Amino acid sequence: MEMKLKDNLSRLPDNTAMKQQQLPACHFHFSATRILTAFFAIGALCLVMGIILILSSKSAKTIEINYTKICANCAKLQENAFNFDKECTCSIPFYLPEKMQGNVYMYYKLYGFYQNLHRYIRSRSDSQLLGIDIKNVEDCAPFEKSHNGTPIVPCGAIANSMFNDTIILSYNLNSAIHIKVPMLRSEITWWTDKYVKFQNPSSRNLSNAFAGSTKPLYWSKPAYELDEEDPGNNGFINDDFIVWMRTAAFPTFKKFYRRLNRIQHFTEGLPAGNYSFNITYITSFQGEKAVVLSTLTWDGGSGLFLGFAYTVTGAMTWLVLFSMIAAHLMLKKRKTFFLQQ
Amino acid sequence: MICLHIALQGSTESLLRRSERKYKEIVIVDQDNRIHTSKYNVLTFLPINLFEQFQRVANAYFLFLLILQLIPEISSLTWFTTIVPLVLVITMTAVKDATDDYFRHKSDNQVNNRQSEVLIDGKLQNEKWMNVKVGDIIKLENNQFVAADLLLLSSSEPHGLCYIETAELDGETNLKVRHALSVTSELGADISRLAKFDGIVDCEAPNNKLDKFTGVLSWIDSKYSLNNEKIILRGCVLRNTSWCFGMVIFAGPDTKLMQNSGKTKFKRTSIDRLMNTLVLWIFGFLVCLGIILAIGNSIWEQQVGDQFRAFLFWNEEEKNFVFSGFLTFWSYVIILNTVVPISLYVSVEVIRLGHSYFINWDRKMYYAGKATPAEVRTTTLNEELGQIEYVFSDKTGTLTQNIMTFKKCSINGKIYGEVHEEPSQKIEMIKKKEHADFSANPKADSKFQFFDHNLIESIKLGDPKVHEFLRLLALCHTVMPEENSTGQLIYQVQSPDEGALVTAARNLGFIFKSRTPETITIEELGTLVTYQLLAFLDFNNIRKRMSVIVRNPEGQIKLYSKGADTILFEKLHPSNEDILSLTSDHLSEFAGEGLRTLAIAYRDLDDMYFKQWYKMLEDANIATDERDERIAGLYEEIERDLMLLGATAVEDELQEGVIETVTNLSLANIKLWVLTGDKQETAINIGYACNMLTDDMNEVFVIAGNTAGEVLEELRKAKENVFGESRSFPNGHAVCEKKQQLELCSIVEETVTGDYALIINGHSLAYALESDAKNDLLELACMCKTVVCCRVTPLQKAQVVELVKKHRNAVTLAIGDGANDVSMIKSAHIGVGISGQEGLQAVLASDYSFAQFKFLQRLLLVHGRWSYFRMCKFLCYFFYKNFAFTLVHFWFGFFCGFSAQTVYDQWFITLFNIVYTSLPVLAMGVFDQDVSEQNSLDCPQLYEPGQLNLLFNKRKFFICVAHGIYTSFALFFIPYGAFYDVAGADGQHIADYQSFAVTMATSLVIVVSVQETQDIP
Repeated sequence: MEMKLKDNLSRLPDNTAMKQQQLPACHFHFSATRILTAFFAIGALCLVMGIILILSSKSAKTIEINYTKICANCAKLQENAFNFDKECTCSIPFYLPEKMQGNVYMYYKLYGFYQNLHRYIRSRSDSQLLGIDIKNVEDCAPFEKSHNGTPIVPCGAIANSMFNDTIILSYNLNSAIHIKVPMLRSEITWWTDKYVKFQNPSSRNLSNAFAGSTKPLYWSKPAYELDEEDPGNNGFINDDFIVWMRTAAFPTFKKFYRRLNRIQHFTEGLPAGNYSFNITYITSFQGEKAVVLSTLTWDGGSGLFLGFAYTVTGAMTWLVLFSMIAAHLMLKKRKTFFLQQ
Repeated sequence: MICLHIALQGSTESLLRRSERKYKEIVIVDQDNRIHTSKYNVLTFLPINLFEQFQRVANAYFLFLLILQLIPEISSLTWFTTIVPLVLVITMTAVKDATDDYFRHKSDNQVNNRQSEVLIDGKLQNEKWMNVKVGDIIKLENNQFVAADLLLLSSSEPHGLCYIETAELDGETNLKVRHALSVTSELGADISRLAKFDGIVDCEAPNNKLDKFTGVLSWIDSKYSLNNEKIILRGCVLRNTSWCFGMVIFAGPDTKLMQNSGKTKFKRTSIDRLMNTLVLWIFGFLVCLGIILAIGNSIWEQQVGDQFRAFLFWNEEEKNFVFSGFLTFWSYVIILNTVVPISLYVSVEVIRLGHSYFINWDRKMYYAGKATPAEVRTTTLNEELGQIEYVFSDKTGTLTQNIMTFKKCSINGKIYGEVHEEPSQKIEMIKKKEHADFSANPKADSKFQFFDHNLIESIKLGDPKVHEFLRLLALCHTVMPEENSTGQLIYQVQSPDEGALVTAARNLGFIFKSRTPETITIEELGTLVTYQLLAFLDFNNIRKRMSVIVRNPEGQIKLYSKGADTILFEKLHPSNEDILSLTSDHLSEFAGEGLRTLAIAYRDLDDMYFKQWYKMLEDANIATDERDERIAGLYEEIERDLMLLGATAVEDELQEGVIETVTNLSLANIKLWVLTGDKQETAINIGYACNMLTDDMNEVFVIAGNTAGEVLEELRKAKENVFGESRSFPNGHAVCEKKQQLELCSIVEETVTGDYALIINGHSLAYALESDAKNDLLELACMCKTVVCCRVTPLQKAQVVELVKKHRNAVTLAIGDGANDVSMIKSAHIGVGISGQEGLQAVLASDYSFAQFKFLQRLLLVHGRWSYFRMCKFLCYFFYKNFAFTLVHFWFGFFCGFSAQTVYDQWFITLFNIVYTSLPVLAMGVFDQDVSEQNSLDCPQLYEPGQLNLLFNKRKFFICVAHGIYTSFALFFIPYGAFYDVAGADGQHIADYQSFAVTMATSLVIVVSVQETQDIP
């Protein structure tokens, strides 16, 4: 009998919240006031955010100069295969009507350059760029090896197509005095890129480390000679190279090029006046090239879009809020009307 | 016609000849008793299991994608994005299959290595089961499992009797008796004679009919017919018999047990089917997107990429734009396949499994009376429980308890039984009853209650008809007596009705004591009388009666018969007219009270006549052609000119909570159809008792026509009645397309007001199920709130279910407890078995089982509703989530030259569904409750969305997809706008691909997770 009782009990399912589907749950209890308050708050938040963003992005100063047409001669020159890597310089004067206060950043901007093509984006060798095995060109198709079979360093389509125009900004105090605006090329990359994702092979002499390899097809100098001024900025850890290797998401993009060294005339930023870009034009492609000078605000150089997006969202939320209030009041009135009847 | 031929020449040498008469061909087979229920062995596991797994459409589809991804030209995703989930799923399934199979191997080994004593070389030797061969002679001892299907040769009990328990075969726990042929039972335990036994058995081919066996034993120049009574099947246990010998007829896979373990039909839910359609549509959608993008790619390659190529792809030769587009198409098919990820299928299974466990764990569906929790036997049907429109219920044992109590009887035109009128009289009666039972009958069952002193008086007075009536009850049955440890007499009954009748006879002084194959001993008012059992004409569903022919000690031969009144009344002698009319009045009175009735009759047989008849029966038994038909004919022949004794009425009480359940189900707009084998009156009465029929119904139609025309006429009339005279049916209606008809039917259904009920009996149902009346029946039945079909056969039950299933496009559930409900349970979308009195067959065939009918409302209204709600919400959300996730690639295509570049990191794509968003959605699918269980029981109307298929259908799907597309659009273009031309606070640009990908991925996870907390459209 006892056995049987035990047996009976053992078949009885456990009385736990989980098994009896009585786990604690939280239900939102929506009431008109709560919903309306929430909508009001969200709307207000978005509007404030939006207005702040718009105002702040208005305060940023930006100047963009498209040099595709101006340097068309250079492009034409290069169309001839013989002059492929011939240097060609063009100068673009411009006038800065207002001074650019604070830090000024220089970008190059490419229109219609598809850095996000599937095969392009994969054409790189991370193990090479980490300095682990510079002969590893496995993923770099079709830029793995030169015609004579030596591996290309750095290999791949991305590296091969690196932006290598040289842009020099000069401040023209008057027609005679042209001051070269001092620019810094350091700290233009992500810290992680510079110190983690890109490493030179460990060797005392960089050129030795790169021995047995060949430079990318479209490059004029090998990677270990990218920066003649700063020996620490050569090889894979060259800032310009790292910036280029961080591929852009869209076919129109700008990349960090230089930042203003705030010394001498330029401690306050760029004063208003006449300037000119001296561009050593290297390669041309189907799209357009531009150079951008810009100051930044607290939130960086965000365009107007985000501010507008916030404002529109906030406005829409409030629109819905008002219509809900109207509906609520009308229903309430009708209810009381019915109740009175 | 296939027939088996087993020849025995010496005990060890055995032959099984399977001869096919048609071709006069004899095949010699040497079958051993080894069984394999396992599917694989170590070597075959991998190939066979993988082959099976890749037969599933989803797995094959993902394999196809994987192969696409391995082609470098078009692989837009790395191979691991598909292979990780696929391998995970395949491994999980394989591990599950492997463990299942391991246990099967283990049990196979255990069973195959069981020892049994086999007669080898004239000696009994222990042999493993797997080495037992057809033709071997086996010795079985008490409580041993039977190793193979045996022909019983002899046993320790007199007359070669032996007792077996068949629980493993059919779930019935009562003992059954088997007896050897008298010629073989003489062999006894004489090893040397047994060893020389050289009979030849001609028998049917292996089949799965547990209760049927036909064969002939040829031995020493005579032929003996063999039937089920002579056979012990594998899986049985020998009881109350110290030993027995048997010859193996079927071994191993040929045994009836193994033949019965066939594959069960795979049921799928309507959501499954819908999902398959949707997946096809989605695939079509993908192809369209792929084509758009491929065209885009061709154009881009031509306009932009051409010049760009030289710059980026250096030394490659010029490519054909169209070919590039073609490759892009496949690349995009790979990328966009995440709309239907493999995890969808896995999650659906996990959710269903979770819901199944909740049902198993539900304490409120646990029946303490029998210590039975609810059990889910098919775990893949749960959400369909929330869509049931029609419930087909058996009556006996399902709505009622199937605990029979003898209530009333009519003997020779006089009613005995409970009298309701005067309470004082009743008390007196109870006293008398107690007195009478106790003194006169020490063997009485203490639980028995019968409140009529008149009957006891009549017995005492020695009314011969009353005595004959009770004698019949004590003789004509299949009950097995057994004495328990305290010496009390216990009856092993196969059907509770019989038990009730034999117990009643016992309490009234006619005590059934014991039986042998040739005698039945009863104690008649204190004196032991032994009757010679001459023939036993057994019960089946077609005959609906059983008879015994006995010779009493005075030498008279009598046939005692009991059975359904309709059948028996046709067999009566013409002189019975007066008593017939009286008895039928009584019968309808009994039935009107919801009692189950049987008519009782006897016939005195002439010695000569019986001998002639018996000779013919023996001939028929040996015959191999049309044996059953000939035997049935002979039974008909002798069961005529019966003298009516009276009728019995047995009560079967309603189960607890049935009324409430029926009311709630009807509030939930679930139509309950009762399909029962009972009499019309009984069925109607039960209908009233459980509130299915009420007095304020507009009309209760009774269809009881005897010809096809009559039935059709009645149906049409009833239909006119429902629609009213003003709205007669258009003539062309009958030739309308079926679909139109259905629509019409549903329109009509809405316009019909008022409650109607339909009652139809089996006889009429047979006509109504014919093609021309079928639609009328269906339309009428659909209009009625309640439908009761009485006197239906198991096959008709299944036909009715099929009819509704096929023509109404509705989800059906069949619930029953007995072997006669199995066909219905199997043919309905969902079969529910009541684990009750009548064995386990219904439960074994069912998808869900529990102990009480009342749990049905909890199963449907709580678990079913939740399952449906959760599954729909899950599916909506899952499709939404994956459209939002995947279509971003489509938008990005316009900015990356249609180069099949993905927006997200490869690992994010791999893990999005199985890591980043898996748990919340699973938790929602398993646990979410829109309303509490109490509310869903209190308000059964909440069940209706499921029936109307409102929560997940094609429209819902499109809304989800549109919502997903909108989300993907916003997800792509807002970051696009924000990132365009942007720079970080320290001047570094952040509009790079990687930042963009991470931002998109993060916002995607946040958006879909927040969306989950909202109600999906």
